[in-house]
Amino acid sequence: MYEFLQYQVRDAMTADPIAISPRAKLREAESLFEARDFNGVPVVDEKRHLIGMLTKLDFLDAFRLGSRAIAPHYDEIMEQLVETAMDSSPASVEPQLPLSRLLQKLVEMRVKSLPVVENGRLVGIISHQDVLKALRRATLQHEIPAHEGSRS
Amino acid sequence: MTTLLYTHPICQEHDTGYGHPECAARLTAILGALKTAPFAALEWREAPSATVEQLTRIHTPAHVERTLARIPKHGYHAIDGDTIVSPHSGEAALRAAGAVCAAVDAILRGEADNAFCAVRPPGHHAEPNQAMGFCLFDNAAIGAAHARAAHGLERVAVIDFDVHHGNGTQTAFEHDPAYLYISTHQAYIYPGTGRRDERGVGNIVNVPLLANSGSTDLRQAWARDIEPALRQFKPQFILISAGFDAHRMDPLAELDFTEDDYRWLTERIAAIATEFCRGRIASVLEGGYNLPALAASAVAHVKALMAATSGLAKPDPEDANGRAP
Repeated sequence: MYEFLQYQVRDAMTADPIAISPRAKLREAESLFEARDFNGVPVVDEKRHLIGMLTKLDFLDAFRLGSRAIAPHYDEIMEQLVETAMDSSPASVEPQLPLSRLLQKLVEMRVKSLPVVENGRLVGIISHQDVLKALRRATLQHEIPAHEGSRS
Repeated sequence: MTTLLYTHPICQEHDTGYGHPECAARLTAILGALKTAPFAALEWREAPSATVEQLTRIHTPAHVERTLARIPKHGYHAIDGDTIVSPHSGEAALRAAGAVCAAVDAILRGEADNAFCAVRPPGHHAEPNQAMGFCLFDNAAIGAAHARAAHGLERVAVIDFDVHHGNGTQTAFEHDPAYLYISTHQAYIYPGTGRRDERGVGNIVNVPLLANSGSTDLRQAWARDIEPALRQFKPQFILISAGFDAHRMDPLAELDFTEDDYRWLTERIAAIATEFCRGRIASVLEGGYNLPALAASAVAHVKALMAATSGLAKPDPEDANGRAP
């Protein structure tokens, strides 16, 4: 019944995830989104320190109508660096965080995934799907004890 | 009496490059619609070129020289990322400004009540000393200055319902109380000017609208801001910067006007013109980038201008009370 409470982020996350450089171009980030079906990709320096997060929404935001040009220059924006569009103070979680608390965060922040950081270094990423899977695992293997007042 | 339509074939030769939203097909769509039977009474006239004297009432001589010198013999030249010129752009821009001056002349000579200038490039972003935002010369401002200088008018109003703020027209007029400039536009998009607190010498009325504003908000803006300002000013002539990009289907903005809103707004402006200045209105095309929406909106606008001249379109007094249809 309560097995889920035993889980930590490290039990459910994807370890050593694909990350992108802040000097990569938005066009490269788009290829990554397209090939991997990521919703967001962590941005790291050479030592894999987490310095940002680029979600599909951040990517789209770069192409919004703004006050600098009457129409966005779509081709030029594709050549911009990831660091110009990323969230440079991204939320992250530690691997030891109870998964129940991570679940709270995902819902409250309405984000699809969060990077997992240990000593400043990116060690994983955890998404909706990872938590769904953990919930299934935590509930499937055990019979649910009938409680008083239940009809069966 | 009569509504005039000013245009010139060279305005369709102003080539801005592949895929550019401010394209010749915009005029083709509008003119195609205005050639149909309901518009048989429109009197078509060829737009003359503006003179340097007409242009330099608004622009610096250096701007006029520099802009015309940048027109390439072949290919394209980008004045900025938005503003592309090609071999026929200079003549098109001169005809666009000339159209408005000719419309002002014809109306003030009593040859017609009002006019629509179906021209491009558009004008209202062009600053006195800077082309920008698809615009080379500020056609509406040049027409307004012409009404003052050539016809001695003392109070000329420019109403700008393009979805973008007409920074050029505001700059041209913000120190001169002989002009009233009124603009509705979407806040926070290009060009970033047009805040409510930009008031000039009390002669600038900016009505920024938030994204997703529509018919109801337009009627509120008219009742609270636009009509009172016009009544206080008592214009002797009204110019309209008629951009149709506040339409709900336009790709470059997020306001939700419909073609019927342009009919409604044009009727309101025409009623003010009838009351204060014998119905004298010269309207000039600015933006509008969804071709079917642009054509339908321009049709509604010109229909309302024509109806105003026949006196048939007595605006329904209830409809003027700020009610959405």
